[in-house]
Amino acid sequence: MSLAWKEMKKNKIRFLILGSIVFLISLLTFMISGLANGLSHDNAALIKDLPNGQFYMNEDADETYNLSRIDSNLQEKWLNGQEDAAALSIQMGFLNDKNEKQQSVAFVTSTESKWFENVKPGEVVLDRSMEDKGIKAGDVLTNNQFSGEFVVKGFVDQKKFSHAPVAFINIENYKEMYRVEEMQLIYVPGQDKAQEADGLQSFSKKQFLETIPSYSAEQMSLNMIVWFLVVISGMLFAIFFYMMNVQKIGLYGILKAIGLKTSALFKMMWTQMIFITGIALVLSAALSQGFNMIAPDGMPFTLTLETTIILSMVFLIIGFIGATLSGIQIKKIEPLQAIQQGEV
Amino acid sequence: MEFFTVNDIKKAFTNGEVREEILKGINISLKKGEITALVGASGSGKSTLLTIAAGLQPASEGQILFEGKNINAMNQEQIRKIRANKFGFVFQFAHLVPFLTVEEQLILMLDVSETKLTKQEQKREVNRILKLVGMDHRKKAYPSSLSGGEKQRVAFARAIIHKPMVLFADEPTASLDSKKSKEMMTLIRELTKTLNITTLMVTHDEEMLSYVDHIIKMSDGLILQTDESTAVHQVIS
Repeated sequence: MSLAWKEMKKNKIRFLILGSIVFLISLLTFMISGLANGLSHDNAALIKDLPNGQFYMNEDADETYNLSRIDSNLQEKWLNGQEDAAALSIQMGFLNDKNEKQQSVAFVTSTESKWFENVKPGEVVLDRSMEDKGIKAGDVLTNNQFSGEFVVKGFVDQKKFSHAPVAFINIENYKEMYRVEEMQLIYVPGQDKAQEADGLQSFSKKQFLETIPSYSAEQMSLNMIVWFLVVISGMLFAIFFYMMNVQKIGLYGILKAIGLKTSALFKMMWTQMIFITGIALVLSAALSQGFNMIAPDGMPFTLTLETTIILSMVFLIIGFIGATLSGIQIKKIEPLQAIQQGEV
Repeated sequence: MEFFTVNDIKKAFTNGEVREEILKGINISLKKGEITALVGASGSGKSTLLTIAAGLQPASEGQILFEGKNINAMNQEQIRKIRANKFGFVFQFAHLVPFLTVEEQLILMLDVSETKLTKQEQKREVNRILKLVGMDHRKKAYPSSLSGGEKQRVAFARAIIHKPMVLFADEPTASLDSKKSKEMMTLIRELTKTLNITTLMVTHDEEMLSYVDHIIKMSDGLILQTDESTAVHQVIS
């Protein structure tokens, strides 16, 4: 006979309340995690969406990409020697729209590469978020440092850098705007280990992201929020299961007195914990995934299935540990003590 | 036949530097199928003796011999198995599982005692015992909807459904009124005799002594007197 199931069936309200708490806590964690990931993506989608690989910048750039200048000969040598490698530069700046309103963007230019938009001189390809600001394909945009004009050629999805929409421009236009001849970075996709190079410092994708101003601090704060929530949730799980167990000490004592094994009591508790947590997690995961699909465009919200599954597993493990720790008292319960306590 | 004996049982509790002896060397024997009552003033040690005999707490010294084996020297798992399979319990309160129906309380006991019955056989046995205790009409009821007397009947049915060899009853009528107490004791006497269950019972109610075969009077952790119940002889004659 499944005692766990019988108890849940008889005490629907009590278990519904417990389940609702688990549901709300996990939903809150999923939503905060989605917002944190969304913000993180918003900060550096341009880099995050690239395949894993290595970024190279000047050793004397002090790990700051916009201080880096890669020698043209060295760049040539690298691009010829590495398939799919690209040299690129990124600079924060402004574009003036037809109403002379300044729009903050991250100008990105690169050598010919399938990983970055290649545009002709006088053209610009923008992140789609610029559409919300009234800019359309064919519009003419200007920049104070550029003598010519930029014609909007099109839009691309999810290309952000340092929270700004990316504007892909031609190398020649970039050189004119920023009065430089050299590129800042060399990106080599698919390279797991950095290659030794004179005067160049290598960064994995993750390491390079951390060189973006404010990225590390922002990520640390967001991760802190998510994991703090996970820890608090774990503690709440343990407290709720502890309270439930305390209420049932008398019952457990009587069941032990009539000969029920302690392991059967643990099984009862684990079954209830997995059932309640499982249902609550499925509901909150479904709801947060649903929100992921309908989140407003302006709201940075990214919750991958992988993150949801990892967080769900963490919740289940924490719930299991919490319930087990609180259940240690089951082992200590003396049947006699329960009998002397009076009616259950 | 004596198959359950308590030999020189002592129980002491230490509270700080004070050592208090609750039982000071008790010797009793239970005869198969007979009801023995432990009586005495509050604090005489009768409930402690019953719970030690039932394996619910260990004795400080002495032996509890059941079928030739010393329960006091067994580990927790061995004692649990004996409690589940060979002993039955009725307490002052019914202590029913609040989320199980009357029928399920008894099925749980059959499961716990590892009685090898099919589901259908379990149901038949449950119906039979519930009829014996007059509770077959309430088998789908939950404890919260039962009266005190009905709860005790179900607790008694749970205590005997797995055909235990010894029934331990700690003040089984203490929570009942006089009429219900007599009904309960009649039921205990009739069914333990029918099923040949040996009973060790604690009571402070002298009226209940007319239903038992032997009376052991305790005082201050010692046995004062062991008598055959004259009252029960009068009832029988």
